[in-house]
Amino acid sequence: MARLLPLLVIAVGVYLWYRSRHGASAGPRSASPSALTEGSLALGFLPASGQNTERARPDAELDALGASVRAGEWEPTARALAAAGKNWERRSQIVGEVADAAANDDAWLTAWEAARPDDPDAAVVRAKSTVFLAWEMRGSARADSTSQEQFDGFHRVLMRSRGDIERAKALNPEDPTPYITEVWTGLGLGYPHETMRELWAEITARAPHHYAAHYSALQYWSEKWRGSEALAWEFVEPAIAAAPHGTLLPALRLVLWYEHHDSDASEADYREAGLTAYVDAVLADIAMAPPTHPRLAEVRHLLAYFLVRQKRHAQALEQFRMVDGYVEALPWRYYNDPAAAYCAFRDKAVRKAR
Amino acid sequence: MGVFLRALRALFLLAGFYLLCLVVLGVFAGIAVAVHHWAPTLAALKVDVILLLLALPVVRASFFIRPPEDDGEDGLRLSKAAQPELWAVVRQAAEEAGTRAPDEIRLTGSVNAAVAENTRMLGLMPGRRRLHLGAPLLTGLTQAQLMAVLGHEFGHYSNADTRLSAITLRGRHAVTRTVSAYHERADQRVEKERARQEKKAGRARAKGKKPKAVDTTGAGFGHRQMAKLFVAYAKFYLRATQSVARRQELAADRVAVRIAGRDAAASALRQTTALDAAHGFYLRTYATVGIPAGLMPPHGQFYGGLARLLAEPERQEELAGLRTGLPEEETSPYDAHPPTAERIRLIEELPDDGRGHLEPSGPAMALLREAGRVLGELEDVTLTAEALAMRRVDWPELLHLGLRAGCDADAEPLREAMRQALGGDAGLRTLLDAADAGALWRVADALPKSEEAGRASGRAAREFARPGLRYGLSRLVILELVDAGLARWEMSWSDGTRLDLSDDYGDRLSQALEAAVADTPDTRPLRELLPRALHPTTF
Repeated sequence: MARLLPLLVIAVGVYLWYRSRHGASAGPRSASPSALTEGSLALGFLPASGQNTERARPDAELDALGASVRAGEWEPTARALAAAGKNWERRSQIVGEVADAAANDDAWLTAWEAARPDDPDAAVVRAKSTVFLAWEMRGSARADSTSQEQFDGFHRVLMRSRGDIERAKALNPEDPTPYITEVWTGLGLGYPHETMRELWAEITARAPHHYAAHYSALQYWSEKWRGSEALAWEFVEPAIAAAPHGTLLPALRLVLWYEHHDSDASEADYREAGLTAYVDAVLADIAMAPPTHPRLAEVRHLLAYFLVRQKRHAQALEQFRMVDGYVEALPWRYYNDPAAAYCAFRDKAVRKAR
Repeated sequence: MGVFLRALRALFLLAGFYLLCLVVLGVFAGIAVAVHHWAPTLAALKVDVILLLLALPVVRASFFIRPPEDDGEDGLRLSKAAQPELWAVVRQAAEEAGTRAPDEIRLTGSVNAAVAENTRMLGLMPGRRRLHLGAPLLTGLTQAQLMAVLGHEFGHYSNADTRLSAITLRGRHAVTRTVSAYHERADQRVEKERARQEKKAGRARAKGKKPKAVDTTGAGFGHRQMAKLFVAYAKFYLRATQSVARRQELAADRVAVRIAGRDAAASALRQTTALDAAHGFYLRTYATVGIPAGLMPPHGQFYGGLARLLAEPERQEELAGLRTGLPEEETSPYDAHPPTAERIRLIEELPDDGRGHLEPSGPAMALLREAGRVLGELEDVTLTAEALAMRRVDWPELLHLGLRAGCDADAEPLREAMRQALGGDAGLRTLLDAADAGALWRVADALPKSEEAGRASGRAAREFARPGLRYGLSRLVILELVDAGLARWEMSWSDGTRLDLSDDYGDRLSQALEAAVADTPDTRPLRELLPRALHPTTF
């Protein structure tokens, strides 16, 4: 027993630390979970087991494309990309969906390249899949628990991705997608700030208010990658100022705030006036966004999170109603169990909104 | 606090160690008496046994173990008659340091010099004194620098505090001995426990039962806890005596300066540090390269080759770089030596004694008569019987064959993967044919994998395997080129040893290897670079 004592002390310590880091989940957990879920279910919400953790919203086209490439067919993807045309936001999404599959098995992509040499759409998928492959080799652990072999593979494949990216750029000079892909290469390889600014100029020349592009570049400028909080604000504010209403870009402030402050924020921090104004700006912006905007659901998730944190439960509930069932979005994707994290916050909103 | 007071404190601290031992034994005895008084006899006997086992290391370490004695058996004994010049210098250094000359000089193979004496009665009675002198120092130092090194070593014996410092030393040994005795015991108990459990598991299996997993977490626990107590005291002790030890080093440095001059003393320290790195490099990249092929350099050259390396102007430059850029090494609070950089700084801060501007003295090796023969004899007494039995070949041959053997060994994991994945022959052509037949990645999958690589699947798994595959394949190709007489490792004392491939061929080979290990392998460019393709008439 005496020997177990230190273990117990450690276990309690780890638990307290965990609780302080995820203070949010502690709140909802304090009530009986079954009662809460029942309340949510009565409102038509789905249980955690019913949440899709692959997407932020239903998307039958992407589902079908994912299934077709896994079955080895490239033609549906070629048709979808042709149909998306210059809808760059949608094009990024389609490329992301199939490139993810190609990072694991690229036989269908190789077949596409063989059937249509120099097809710019195949090239842009190739470039993205190489970058995905690099990140898969690195793994998602922190740097100190990532092996030298993993880092070597990560850098080797990222270096190779630059060739693929250049090829895709050359084959379709109008397309911002390969440039956006390169942001992740630059983030991994540590492009100098000046290089990133040049790359960013190329992107905004092609797609000035592309949400996914801004999200990616914000990652680069944030403290955990190649920038700092100050640099991140320097990036975000002018972008929002220049953007028309309904482009969702005001949500970048919430992303920035989340990345830099969420892990050690107190309850009061969330309700501070500045952050409340940021949340209000996002509420105003989504009201003017086209309902078909591919990233709208993702923004609603983040918004709902902050609304719960600000105890604006009724408003949070409105957002939850519109996105329930699909939870692949910030902040849930940072949790070990995204569906459970989502449900905990949602259930809290349900309970408190009554 | 004066040196004498510090040494006195060391004496008290040593006494404190013995006191700690007595207290521990006293507590054990108390427990034993109490248990016999209140507990049933059988349990009491059990407790007795445990206490006895725990007490044993204390008793052994504190009362029976003497500080480790210099057995003096390592190295080659250099007699006064055979080496009068070296002896004269050593005698002069000892005399000028104000202490008696050693009774023996022993030449060793390391970059180190030390004077050891088997004193008796806690250092109050003198014993036999030996100078251990590393051959690499003779190779790399000038006579003036050697004088400084000797001055430092004898300086330890000329200072009044040295005798008393034997007490400090004995204390250090006693405490560390006790700690390691406990750890040893603890490890033994873990081993015993493992053996016991495995035996039990074996019996269980024999009876057709499912054995429990071997768990030794509890074993050796008591001994580890006891070790902690002594570790705590040892830390305290080593910290407390450290300043005495460091002062002695600095005092010895001042003796070196007095005897050899400021500049020689400082440069000797710089050169010794640089020499240590150079010697390590020499051993790794020259002297021991032949071992995988069972080869040694010519007799006398194992220690003699260092001089040839150092003679090259390029190496002299590298050495100069090492001398000036001394690393600020991390020092442990328990280490007796002040950082070398600090010692050098203190010496160089002394006023110029004008002795640095004298004629440069010759190499210290010149003091050794028949140096070649002596270095040969040094091999005979310092190398293992296994190494001495190896065939002796000249340097170029040694490096070529040694590196070929290394290359061959490096290709082995890939050969093994081929045997596993394809069965049968494990040659280069088998691999290329397998690649053409689409089986390359099956072979790659059989290569040894790290944990992360083992978890990967699909393209990531291929990507993890690619560097190892490419490396193994390049080894096989190089072996084929070498064995066909088309390539050779060319040695150079100034620039390492390289495979003599032309730049153009090297580039083409690199590209061909890349193509051969691509997702869809293309072996044609590589086949075109192989001996049979290059010289179709000969092969």
